[in-house]
Amino acid sequence: RRGLGVAAGPPSTCQLREAEEAAPVFQYAGKAARRKDRVFVWGFSYSGALGVPSFVRPDAGWKKPRRIQPTPYRLETEEKISSAACGYGFTLLASNTRDITKVWGMGLNKDSQLGFQRSRRDQTKGYEYVLEPSPIPLPLEKPQQTRVLQVSCGRAHSLVLTDSEGVFTMGNNSYGQCGRKVVEDEIYSGSHLIHQLKEFDSRVVQVVCGQDHSLFRTKKGTVYACGWGADGQTGLGHYNITSVPTKLHGDIAGVNIIQVSSCGDCCLAVSDEGDVFGWGNSEYLQLASVTETTQVNVPRHLPFKIGKIKEAACGGTGNVVLTEEGNVFVWGYGILGKGPNLIETAVPEMIPPSLFGWSDFSPDTRVAHVRCGLSQFAALTNRGELFVWGKNLRGCLGTGRMEDQYFPWRVTVPGEVVDVACGVDHMVSMVRSF
Amino acid sequence: LNAAPGRAPRQRVRFLPAPGGSGAVELVAARVPVLADHPLVRGPRFRKLKIGAGHRLDVKASGVFVLGIGHGNKLLTDLYNCHLTKVYTVGGLFGKATDDFSDTGNLVEKTTFDHITREKLERILAVIHGTNQKALLMYSNIDMKTQEAYELAVKGLIRPMGKSPPIITAVRILQFALPEFQLEIHCLHETQQYLRKMVHEIGLELKSSAVCTQVRRIRDGAFTVDDALPRTQWKLQSIQEAIRNCQLKVETELKKTL
Repeated sequence: RRGLGVAAGPPSTCQLREAEEAAPVFQYAGKAARRKDRVFVWGFSYSGALGVPSFVRPDAGWKKPRRIQPTPYRLETEEKISSAACGYGFTLLASNTRDITKVWGMGLNKDSQLGFQRSRRDQTKGYEYVLEPSPIPLPLEKPQQTRVLQVSCGRAHSLVLTDSEGVFTMGNNSYGQCGRKVVEDEIYSGSHLIHQLKEFDSRVVQVVCGQDHSLFRTKKGTVYACGWGADGQTGLGHYNITSVPTKLHGDIAGVNIIQVSSCGDCCLAVSDEGDVFGWGNSEYLQLASVTETTQVNVPRHLPFKIGKIKEAACGGTGNVVLTEEGNVFVWGYGILGKGPNLIETAVPEMIPPSLFGWSDFSPDTRVAHVRCGLSQFAALTNRGELFVWGKNLRGCLGTGRMEDQYFPWRVTVPGEVVDVACGVDHMVSMVRSF
Repeated sequence: LNAAPGRAPRQRVRFLPAPGGSGAVELVAARVPVLADHPLVRGPRFRKLKIGAGHRLDVKASGVFVLGIGHGNKLLTDLYNCHLTKVYTVGGLFGKATDDFSDTGNLVEKTTFDHITREKLERILAVIHGTNQKALLMYSNIDMKTQEAYELAVKGLIRPMGKSPPIITAVRILQFALPEFQLEIHCLHETQQYLRKMVHEIGLELKSSAVCTQVRRIRDGAFTVDDALPRTQWKLQSIQEAIRNCQLKVETELKKTL
């Protein structure tokens, strides 16, 4: 027998163990692996508001134009986006950076709500539809020091809040919503004008756009308003247009307001003591708990006995508040989130926490933030899950289905959702990867 | 079983001639046992036993395994139609990936795992929970636009009452000590291999790899580990006692669901 080699039978256990120990170890993520910040968009895309040009103008032969993006789609951005806002067919993204480019806009630009976007074909004209996130040039005095804190979008105007240079407004000003005097027959398309607002009693910490009006909340807790007032949404005691930001009085005089919200023609404000105040349109029973009139032009305290209120969000026809215990209350008209039978209520009704993922298994799951679109609601839990409900206009809920959602439904987003901005027919969310 | 005293033989009324006294043919009614019921004629009562199995359990897995004996097999179809959740304790090990997702398979890859924290694992489990909750609502075939769908969703009673892919209704970390971890998983319509695959996928999501070391079913609908009989107690008396103890539970469960 020559025995040139041992016949290779099935490997014995100690051979297997040796092979296992000798195998190389791969490292996919080190201890210092950072979580990445991402932006996801979904909804109606033909206005360019989603910022993906290939949805509107396909860049490859096999791609088809995508009218609606029904599920979250990742949007590549150059910088980490800290604040986003959705308007009526356009979106603004802002970053906290000190670089020169701090704000990007995409979507409808017929009233220069995204500033002047110089067209490449004709250097004198601007783009009417911006399909990709394009930088908005702000006339800053110290562009490399000022930071953009927050952006907000209305129907055809936008507001940009900076930390040291006040508020910049652009877009349609036919009702004075940009805070400057109304010029008759002004042409807003292709306009270079960006107005700066500085005269407030203290630094502005939050800007909110309603449909055709603007609200400013200062550090001292006062609220200023300008714009259209036919529904009383400016809260200044009259139903006329205001073109200069004016301080609000009424029930909020002397009260330290910590949050303001508005989307359509109704406005809500939350004080530091947990009270909620409302003014504006009340045709849909939003303020019916205090008054029978359908337009309220002075802020009124809403005496709800539901606990200390932490956050409020105002939609087109329905409102939602979040209490300190983490309960969500809705009232108003429309799909409120308690099944198809609840269409309207003037008194807040609570949505059971079990619909937001609370169970005996996870008793500390609670809602952390609430947001409102025109006819949709969104809630973010402390576990990073996003729940949406309301009218599914052109796929804006992001559930993947085109039907309306009558109770809170999870949106599958690959990451932990940090913030979400709701518009009329699209939504933008800021997500941290795992 | 055959040694146990069986049913008493049936009695029949027969008209037999009266005892004693010749001549007069008088018939008297008398109860006599039927000869066909005599044990020597009938033979042993049980020659075969029909035993049916409930939900399948792998060779590599362990835990509660429901069996139906004789007429109990009819209840097995009801058990399937109830679609109750089963609870498993699944043990996993980070750092290895094998081809059949368990620790006895062929090694595919080894990875580092020191970047994994309990918080990251909880986040991944929250995502799994979320997507499975959605699947729960979608496969239940209830029209989401009705008020009753809303009410069931509030109570958490929506679940698929027909065929569906495996769905996990709840996950929880029981132990976490790198590289080992143990999860408690409540699921529907699953197979044990699916649970092992899930452990593998959890490892991938955490940018490492994981294999499954243990799958143990601790609850199957209404039957828990306390009702189950270990191998040492596979005797007639303990089996009969266990059946008697579980009867009430089975009845209430059936009445509740069907």
